[in-house]
Amino acid sequence: MKIGIPVLDELLGDVPRGKTVTYLIDPEVEGDVFPLQTLYENLENGNSCALIVSSMSPEIIKNRFREFGWDIEKDSFSIVDAYSAYVGASSEEKYFVKNPADLKELDRVITRAIEENDLIVFNSLSTIIDISGEDVIEFVNGWNKYAMLNDAVIVYGFTSWPYAQEVLEKIKELSNTVISVGGIHHRVVLGHYYGILKSDWKEVKNKAVLFKLLRPGGVRAYIPKILVTGPFNSGKTTFVHSISTKAVSVDRLGTTVALDHGHVDYKGFSIDIFGTPGQERFNPVLKILGGEALGVIVVVDSTKPEDFPRAKEMLAETTRFGLPYVIAANKQDIDGCLSPEEIKRKMNLPDDAVVVPMSARSKEGVYDVLDALLNLLIGG
Amino acid sequence: MLTGSLSINGKPSNLMIIGPPLVGKTILIRNMFFEKINEGFGGIFITTRSPAEEIADWLSSQGVDDFKIIDCVSKTTMQDLPDEPKIKRLSVMDLTGITVKVNELFKEYLKDEKKVVVAFDSLSTLLMYLNEQTVLRFLHVFSSRIRTTGAVAFYIVEEGMHDEKTIAALKQLFNGVLELKDENNQRFLRYMDTSVRIDWKEFEVQDNAIVVKT
Repeated sequence: MKIGIPVLDELLGDVPRGKTVTYLIDPEVEGDVFPLQTLYENLENGNSCALIVSSMSPEIIKNRFREFGWDIEKDSFSIVDAYSAYVGASSEEKYFVKNPADLKELDRVITRAIEENDLIVFNSLSTIIDISGEDVIEFVNGWNKYAMLNDAVIVYGFTSWPYAQEVLEKIKELSNTVISVGGIHHRVVLGHYYGILKSDWKEVKNKAVLFKLLRPGGVRAYIPKILVTGPFNSGKTTFVHSISTKAVSVDRLGTTVALDHGHVDYKGFSIDIFGTPGQERFNPVLKILGGEALGVIVVVDSTKPEDFPRAKEMLAETTRFGLPYVIAANKQDIDGCLSPEEIKRKMNLPDDAVVVPMSARSKEGVYDVLDALLNLLIGG
Repeated sequence: MLTGSLSINGKPSNLMIIGPPLVGKTILIRNMFFEKINEGFGGIFITTRSPAEEIADWLSSQGVDDFKIIDCVSKTTMQDLPDEPKIKRLSVMDLTGITVKVNELFKEYLKDEKKVVVAFDSLSTLLMYLNEQTVLRFLHVFSSRIRTTGAVAFYIVEEGMHDEKTIAALKQLFNGVLELKDENNQRFLRYMDTSVRIDWKEFEVQDNAIVVKT
């Protein structure tokens, strides 16, 4: 069996029969696609798959597959309808739970689905807990064991609302592999990522993958981009080079006329860094990078307060796009430089603005800048 | 208009509107929503009761255009109508769908440097379909998002449908309460938050508008 999600397939390999996989999904992220994509991938590979639907009608969920261009009109696909009865409707699905709040009945139907299918996918286990209470967790334990006996795989979609900590812990404990699907919050949810929290059949490294949803197509991984900007001669190029494991610059007479480009693998993120030329507005660059720019580093020369107004202008441009930013106070190794506090005051920045002291030349503090930005993005 | 004369405009980020059936809550929330859009806010109206089309028509007839409606009526009752540019449809049980959709709309409005107003009519329907803890967990996430984005949100709660414990728990999540009541065929409202208290004032409903008597 396959996970069917980019990068995870390589990291986890095949899902052995009898195992359970849980997607732990941030409530503000459209993560319900993950279990659906896993189902579609395995349906395509000739497995019989059942989908347990508890938070929307079977028709709506079928449209959700169509939205991503996934054809599920196969005899090997069936739906366990644990929704329709809840809103007083009838059902034409193969498996129908006549009273979804009655755990015993739900259990009987799901047990039958486990016997008759290779893969059982729960669209939303959290909704079932919401309807029937936390007793469901005991049944989850039972279903997992039954799947093991029947050589079936169970995949749970679970939305991590602020449940009691024990509930979340129990859910994680009961799964062989847990994949977290999270959001990068900054006023609004800016981006989404996923990573493996645990797996008992493969040793996994901490790795976060950013993704977008394509319609059609589903989950697609992408490399986050960070923009480095700042006034003329503030040290942007030096900074991009000192932070990157590999970097190239297009320049003429020592000043960047086109773009610096660097790449760094840091804390499980694989990040592309783009330095913009100081003498131009980077509006067009931001447009080119589209929605993939995640944050901005504004490099200022701590010895040149006369350039601060220009830096402030550039900052205004970024915040217009709603992107989080960090001020990198460069040239801290030069006598007479201003302290981060003084820079904050002179630039008239809001209290919560982050100014990080560093020296692009000596590399002192350059990773603190990246840490500060990642901290803003994913809260540490 | 109402909110102006009560001088609570824009103060609480999450405002609960509570009152008995037919006292005028829906007209009130629509007026408050309309006023904000008129001031330049982008609007998101989440409906679990009135058809989305009716709300859209009413807002258009008032001359405002910058709003989106999240329709939690049609899909819940198994009608699978397609989305429209102004109307997005979800099942009321699909709380994740609601938070995701609202976030998407926030992002769009933010790009245009707009503030956002959200109207939720009503939380009582959510509490009818889902258990209390579920709704409270959802509102916890939802109201924090409203605060961090600097938006304002109004939520309707039906009086008499929920026990006092539920109402108390809901009040915890919001930072302002507008209470409506009906007495001897006269209608009254009062407002409360941590810093402002406005005692009962009589109001009338005239031509789809709320008029507070002075």
